[in-house]
Amino acid sequence: MATESSSPPNPPAAGGTPQNSATETVQPANEVKQDAAPQNPKSVFVNSEPIREDQVQNAVKFLSHPKVRDSPVFHRRNFLEKKGLTKEEIDEAFRRVPDPSPSAQPTVTNQVGQGVTTSTIQPTSVSQTPVPIITVPSSASPSMFALARSRFHWYHAVFAVGLLAASGAGTAIWVKKSMIPRLKSWIRWVVMEEKNGDGGITNIKPTLAEEAAAAAKAAAAAASDVAKASQEMMISRYEEKVNMEKFMDLMQMQVKEIRSMGSAIKHLEGRSDKIERTHLVEHGGHSGSITKLKPTYPNGNKPEIDSHSARSSLPPTSADKSAPPHPNSYMDIMAMVQRGERPPNIRDINDQPPNPNQQISNPRLAPRSKPWEGAYQAKTSSRGGFGSALNGEGGSDFGAQNNEASNQVDAQSTVPWWQKKNSRITETDYVEAKPGSTTVVQTNEQPPIQRTWVPPQPPPVAMPEAAEAIRRPKSKKEAEPVSQETSGEGFSAAEVTDELQRITKISESGGEVEEMHSGGQGTNGALGGLKLSEIEEEPVQSY
Amino acid sequence: MNVAKTPFNGYSVKFSPFYEDRLAVATAQNFGIIGNGRVHVFSLPPTPTGALTEIVSFDTADGVYDLAWSESHDSLLIAAVADGSVKLFDTNLPPPQNPLRSFQEHTREVHGVDYNPTRRDSFVTASWDDTVKLWSLDRPTSIRTFKEHAYCVYSVAWNPRHADVFASASGDCTVRVWDVREPGSTMIIPGHEAEILYCDWNKYDEGLIATSSVDKSVRVWDVRNYRVPVASLNGHGFAVRKVKFSPHHRNLMMSCSYDMTVCMWDFMVEDSLVGRYDHHSEFAIGVDFNVLVEGLVASTGWDQMVFVWQHGTEPRGP
Repeated sequence: MATESSSPPNPPAAGGTPQNSATETVQPANEVKQDAAPQNPKSVFVNSEPIREDQVQNAVKFLSHPKVRDSPVFHRRNFLEKKGLTKEEIDEAFRRVPDPSPSAQPTVTNQVGQGVTTSTIQPTSVSQTPVPIITVPSSASPSMFALARSRFHWYHAVFAVGLLAASGAGTAIWVKKSMIPRLKSWIRWVVMEEKNGDGGITNIKPTLAEEAAAAAKAAAAAASDVAKASQEMMISRYEEKVNMEKFMDLMQMQVKEIRSMGSAIKHLEGRSDKIERTHLVEHGGHSGSITKLKPTYPNGNKPEIDSHSARSSLPPTSADKSAPPHPNSYMDIMAMVQRGERPPNIRDINDQPPNPNQQISNPRLAPRSKPWEGAYQAKTSSRGGFGSALNGEGGSDFGAQNNEASNQVDAQSTVPWWQKKNSRITETDYVEAKPGSTTVVQTNEQPPIQRTWVPPQPPPVAMPEAAEAIRRPKSKKEAEPVSQETSGEGFSAAEVTDELQRITKISESGGEVEEMHSGGQGTNGALGGLKLSEIEEEPVQSY
Repeated sequence: MNVAKTPFNGYSVKFSPFYEDRLAVATAQNFGIIGNGRVHVFSLPPTPTGALTEIVSFDTADGVYDLAWSESHDSLLIAAVADGSVKLFDTNLPPPQNPLRSFQEHTREVHGVDYNPTRRDSFVTASWDDTVKLWSLDRPTSIRTFKEHAYCVYSVAWNPRHADVFASASGDCTVRVWDVREPGSTMIIPGHEAEILYCDWNKYDEGLIATSSVDKSVRVWDVRNYRVPVASLNGHGFAVRKVKFSPHHRNLMMSCSYDMTVCMWDFMVEDSLVGRYDHHSEFAIGVDFNVLVEGLVASTGWDQMVFVWQHGTEPRGP
């Protein structure tokens, strides 16, 4: 894979981490903001995309919305993160949006020239933004337009046009509203002066008196109208009242009739009526309890909305209200909690450390290497087993698997059942190793030494006959030297190939090789490096 | 095949990285709503059927949501407790001498804990107070606090090949990748439209991370190209609570869900579901692969049951 070539190779022994940490601790020491190139290829866990301008602009639009401005900052950040923006893009959007005019000068100074690295790998470096500064003085006011021209080009134009239109409209309205009426009245005044000449002044007074008289007349007429209207309303209300009374009388008569009918029916039914009532009460009571539970059911499904004393939120159970059915006792407990009750089965436990200064004991075992570290290629060794499991489990029916498993169990009942899945090598090994329980303690100490150069697991023997056929000519040759080597020596630095030969022979011959070994010690020691986990089993079985 | 019943509802199960036959189970009373908690340490019997035998158990005042075995000390357990504390237990010491430590720093429930498998000297905790904290056993207080998520952080997972990198999954619908050497997160993956409940790294491909979500799906992401998931696995009927990559096979994963099933997946295959186990009678909340024994898996759930079986066989046994 491409990434493996870019990241440092992992040596089998140490898993590559000491190398990584060594080289990468050197990097921060030499860190220069622009010199991000050496660090980039090492870490795949960092964004290597450049800032996407369209995403940033979308974010700016979002952040400029008045409703968004009211929400807390971290909500806004989270929304943008969910939309897939990187940290750098979000930071850039935040930088652009609030208070563009006052902060224009600081932002101008903050912006560094076009970043050398297109990949903004320094998440900590706020100042690295790939934007050139070109200040463009614009015709209309503010210093907002003093920012980079290349990015705000269209923005600038739109804003200028809008501003011009707004100002034009404003002046037009102002002129229309204030200037013209003033002009008109001035013209009228001039005209009147010309017409009336000297008598203009005296004529004004009689006109005033006439106007006053006219106003008084109008007022009087209005008052009389009002009086008439109210009188009419009074009359109509009285009429309505009379009608209502008649209606009420009729209704009462009808009610009386119905009541009499009802009592007649009751007399007829007699006892059955009582039963109905009790049923009604029960159902009413039951439905009452159901309605109590119902509010808790949706709450149980979305407990994060609840605010009860125990847990103010729980991991959510469903995204879209189609919740999984909770157990009844769960509902009961939620109901109790919402009522403020404490379930009775809770004990007061003091779980504080009895001795806070208690020494942490030394480990008894050395840490074990993981299957994915080093040369232990688990995937190759047990592909056979895994493959069979896969084939057998095509659907969801495991009935067929039971027979297979039980067969395996019966065959090797002395061995822990959960070792069965491993390759046949260890199974045959186990049978002979079991009696030698005294060797347990000794083998335990050997694995830590052997671990450093665990030879790779040989591939599984899928077709024993073929494998044997291939190896037969060699096996006779190697028989003597192999046996001499392993007899009674324990685990020395044997050649990897020899080990492989022996392993395959053991698996093919099914334990025939045991004659060659001097005893349990040799066997365990010889194979200890290959299957550490199985060897480790000895101490388990001893107790 | 091997079964145990716990008095409280199961939340998490973890195999020991030192002993093939040892596992720990985190449980909480009353489904974790309110009540005590208990950590059980079980041992597998030599027979294929039969009950797990309990070695020791530790009681806590509040429910235990998650636990992690130490990778440096074979007997130490870290428990994530619902009262916001992080407790250290020593399985070699009797319960009255436990816990060894109780770190009280999170202001809300601690929901996830993971021990560093490469450096073996530190662990991280995920809490509903929106933060992740980095700890070391020899320090009384946390080393660092990572505060960026906008909602509860449900799980954290160390990268198995890069000792300083870990990922966190949160209810704010994002997964963040962090590097302890960096002040903030190095990558934000908006993985799902709903809350993300768990994340786990692939053991054989350092850039692959799996996420499970309330939207019933499991997705596999490649951090080198995280805009589009590598695979989106659907099949669960309800929210998927946990997803784990196999320590022995690059493509094998297992997940557990509120639909009471445990599913096995091969994400490189078109029809990814390779197995489904429905042995639980309530929400299946915890699953784990045994790192030392290939194919051995365990699960636990709100039905108070713990099952240990060989993948490919029937968990309930003959």
